[in-house]
Parts: sequence; C-alpha cells; structure tokens
Amino acid sequence: MNLLKTTSAAAIVAAAAAFTGTGANAANICFAFQDLETEFWVAGHMAITTTLTEAGHTVLERNANEDANKQFEQIKDCIAQGVDAIIVIPQDGESAVTIVKEAQAADVPIAVFNRPPTDTSKGIVVVADNKTIAETAVDSIVEEALASAPADKTLNAIIIVGDLGDPNAVGRKDGFYAAINKHQDRFNVVEVASKWDAATALANLEAAVTANPEVDLLFTSSDFLFPTIRSVFEPRGLWKKRGEDGHVLMAGLDGDKTACQLIKEGYVDATGVQDLYFEADAALKGVLEAIENDEAQPNVLIEDPGFALTQANLATDEMKMWGCILLAGE
Amino acid sequence: MIKSLEKASDFLFRNATYVIFACVLLYYGLQAPSFLSVESLSNIVKQASFIGIAAIGMTFVLLTAGIDLSVGAVMFLAPLIAGYAMRDLGVPVPVGLLVAVLTGVLLGAINAILIVRLKVVPFITTLATLFLFRGFGTWLTSSQQFDFPEEIRRFGLSTVLGVPTPLIVFAIVALAAHVVLAHTAFGRQVYAFGNSPEGARKAGLSAEWIQARVFIICSACAALSGFMLIAQIGRLDVAFGEGSEFDVIAAAVLGGASLFGGIGSAFGAVVGATLIQTVKLGLVFTGVNLYLQPIMLGLIIFVAVLVDGVREKRLLALLKRTIRPV
Repeated sequence: MNLLKTTSAAAIVAAAAAFTGTGANAANICFAFQDLETEFWVAGHMAITTTLTEAGHTVLERNANEDANKQFEQIKDCIAQGVDAIIVIPQDGESAVTIVKEAQAADVPIAVFNRPPTDTSKGIVVVADNKTIAETAVDSIVEEALASAPADKTLNAIIIVGDLGDPNAVGRKDGFYAAINKHQDRFNVVEVASKWDAATALANLEAAVTANPEVDLLFTSSDFLFPTIRSVFEPRGLWKKRGEDGHVLMAGLDGDKTACQLIKEGYVDATGVQDLYFEADAALKGVLEAIENDEAQPNVLIEDPGFALTQANLATDEMKMWGCILLAGE
Repeated sequence: MIKSLEKASDFLFRNATYVIFACVLLYYGLQAPSFLSVESLSNIVKQASFIGIAAIGMTFVLLTAGIDLSVGAVMFLAPLIAGYAMRDLGVPVPVGLLVAVLTGVLLGAINAILIVRLKVVPFITTLATLFLFRGFGTWLTSSQQFDFPEEIRRFGLSTVLGVPTPLIVFAIVALAAHVVLAHTAFGRQVYAFGNSPEGARKAGLSAEWIQARVFIICSACAALSGFMLIAQIGRLDVAFGEGSEFDVIAAAVLGGASLFGGIGSAFGAVVGATLIQTVKLGLVFTGVNLYLQPIMLGLIIFVAVLVDGVREKRLLALLKRTIRPV
C-alpha cells in the first residue's frame, strides 16, 4: 500500500478507532457487496475492509457477483452465523429494501453503502447526493459551452445513462437534466443507454455520434466509461484537449483515477466527486455505534454532499478527490 | 393470380428474416434518413461483428442440438489471459490474439471433455463453466479493471483499405465457417449429427468427436469476439461479456438456426447478429425513450422469431404437399 492510500485509510482508522476506543469490543461484521466492477467500488471495499480489520474486527466478505438473489441468500447466511452488524452494497434499490427488512427482522444493525434502497427510511443509509453532484458538474460545462457559443446556436448534448434499475443512475440523470433545463431552449439532448456496460455504451455511443456528429458537450453517468468514450471520439477527431480545435466539453461522475488523469491532461473538464472516504467512515461509524449502544434497528440517512472537481478548482481541490489521491500514490 | 400470390407469400416466408431486416431498415430509414448512410450501416455491421463472430461459433453448437452458455465468460477470460501475456510478457498484439484464441480452444476443450467424456448435458456443463470461467477471471483481476497496452487499441481501431479491422475479421470468420459447414465432410457430419444423432452413429460417425469439435470452435470464436471487442476499448472490467450469451444465442436463432439441431448456417448467424444490432442502434438513432428501448427490442425480436416459427410451419406444409400432391 502506498503512502497516500495508507494515509487515507489511516485517517479512517483513526476516526473509527477514536470511536471504538470508547470501549467497543471486536465485532463480527458481514460486508456484502454486489461486485467490484469499477474503481469506486474497489476503493470503497478497500477502505471498509482495511479499516475494520485494522481496528481488530472480523470481516466476513460476501461477493454476490451482481446477483440480487444470491446477495439476499448471503445476507441470510451472515445473519445465521450471528454477525454483529452488516454493511451492504446492494445490487439495486429494490433488493436493498428486502435485505434491510431481513436484517432488521433479525435485530442485526445494517448499513447500506452508496447504493440507496428505494425506501431510505430503514437502516443506516449512506448515499451520495447524486442529483446535486451531477448537476454541479454539468453546470460547469453548460456554462462554459454557452459562453463560447453564439447566442442563437442550439447545442448538442449527450448523456450516457447508467442502468435505469440503479437509483444512482436515475439520480445522475436527473441532475444532468436539472442543469440542462436551466437553458432548455439551448440544448438538443441525446440519451445513450449504457446499462453500466462498456460494450453497450460503445455500440450505442457510436450510433448516437453517427446520428449527431456535432457534439458540444457530453456527460457520462460514471467515470469508468471515459475509455469507451475515447474509443468513439478519437477516430472522429473529437478527443481533443482543452484549447485544441474540436474539444468536446465533458463531465463525469465518481471521481476515479482515470477521471483525475484526464482532467489533468485537459481531455475532461469536470467530474462530480463522491466523497468515498466520508461515506466509508459514515457507514462504519453507524454500525459500530449501533453495536456499542445495543441498537438493533438504527435508521438514519447520511448524505454525502460531494462536490465537482473542475478545471477552475483543480489546483485547490485535487487532493479532495479519492481518484486523485490514488493516482498521486502510484 | 392465386398461384402468383402463393408464390409471393412462399418467397416471403422462405426469406422471412431478410424481409424483417428490410422492414426494420426501411422503418428506421424513414424515421431518420441518415440511418441508411454508409457510415451508419458500416457502424452497425462493425458493432454486429463482435456478437456475430461468437454467433457463428454458437451456430456450430446449435446445429448439433447443443447449447453453450459459457460464451460470455469465455469472451471475458480469454482476452484477459491474452492481456496478461501482452502486458507482463510484452508479446505483440497478433501473438496476444493467438493467445486469446488458444485460450478459447482450451476452455472449449474443457466443455467438450465434460460433455463428451463425462456425458453431462451441454446446458448444465456450460452453465457450470460460465461461473467457473468468470470466477477464475474475477479471481485473477481481484475484481479490478484491467488496462491493456495501448497497442491493442491501435489494432482495434485500425482499418485495411478503409474497412475497419473487426469487419474484416468478421468476414473471414463467416467465410471460413461457411466453407467448413457447406463444403467439408466435417460440415456434413455436423448437420447429419444434428438431424439425427442416432442415425449419424449408425452411419459410423464419431458423435463424440463431432460434439467436441463444435464446442471447441464455439469457444474459439467467443474468445476471438471478446478480443476484438476489447481491442476497441482497451480496458476490461469484471462485468465484461456478462449476459452476452443471450445476445449470441438470439443472433444465431434469428439467423435461422434451430435449437433442435440440424438447421442453420454461418451466413444466417451474420444476418441474425446484424439484425439485432440494427434494431438496437436504430432505437438509439431515432431517439426512442430509454425506458421503452428494451420493450421495443423485445417486441421486434419476438415478432422476428414468431414469423420464423410460422415460416417453419409453412415450409413443412409445403414439403408435405410436395410428397402428396393434391
């Protein structure tokens, strides 16, 4: 583990230790995740498991491989094993409701990390404010696009939408439209489905760009799709750095390593950042506090306000973004 | 008059897939004329090539009345192994491609051994290897994204005389598969086995050897398909290829391959894959609401399969009429 990763993890450990130092015993925590298909989930997984194990807790890891039914069975298995608490990254919003209900029926405190249940009133729900984060990121490129275009020109915007069964994807889509609709008459929007799959995004984006060759701005609902966007844009001369002729204003969401690198290089203009370490810390604190207080069914909604890293605040806010922290450590 | 109408309807039913294809093209063309541009059509065929290559391999398996559910996992694992060879051993892209295909052959051989030697039915075998292969790949990557060397993207985005490389590979695979199926003894054996396994055995054909080879061919095609697709993106994530088996099977079936064996062709798979991709990309092109897209796709595929089913019945009826003329 490099220095920065260690520092970040240590910060969470210190925070958790400060809390657990009040007398919490070593606990058995079930950590069930749907998969680790993007950098965000990998980093979140590392932050949670490292913090828990370094604080002396036992972690039962369960990977559902993107199968909601399998995850539900894994949760039931964790409960049967008598875990003290559960942290779950659910497959989708609906299955999360069932999982939380099952855990609470068995009096096991449960925290839902980053992907919210459709009913956020039950369990410790730690969630990024996807709509606001997306809106902030898109606002920055919308303003820039409008500033550099003639007042009577209609601009073409593309949004790459995630899996519509995922509340995060829906929140990000809503945030995009919240920004665009402030200047509704100035934008022609093309929606591209990705289903969080690079191959689907590749095919659909190629079709969208063929149908609408003139692209003024693009928002991807996840940073992990930037390499796919590059594959489509590069042969068409649309993959250009800021200041170069043909540059398409681009924003993403997550705040991963790739996005950090691309913002620094000038290919990407902004990205909405989920404060991964805040979210991991909040989930851990929530379950450990519940164990400490013998609280079987804690219900609290913790929102990560996030922020947007843009070309304007890159110099000052770079190291607030988890992807930049990981990148700097490589 | 009635006879000419009958002839026309017979022609339409015999070529139902092509007729549906033409209708789909016409509909999207009317909605968005640029859909029929050379660039758009070329893009459709290019995007169809990835599933199409795997669908050609799947056709071999379907011809023997088998099924291979592990193709999506092979599309993930084989390029991953090639990626390690390219990144860690520094092998060039062509060698990487060879490694991917050979990995596909190996994975197909595992399927073949389980099916032929242990006599486990293909559905169960390949369902198990779907999880086995994907699980192995996930373990190798520790669920992290895998970045390929930059050269692979240069290969994936390259063209030969203006034709994208994936299209050329697709054409070569389709042609080779057509030659094998239509003009070789092995091809005739595959059809014979699919039509009547017992009859083929009685005719002295080695059923085991035929079955083994079709599963190896299928996995090799899936591996090649995965490699060509990854060559477009340059990065592999753990969800890569997930669910692709359904697209691949749908493409082969839409192209006329029967799930009961004995019917199908390489070019049919090409048409099926291209039809599916046309429908999918047409929905994007015409700006259909994202929530409606899966419904529309499902409906169009359903209609295509339904018409194909009617065609089968009609052709059987025609055959009956020929045997016992009224």
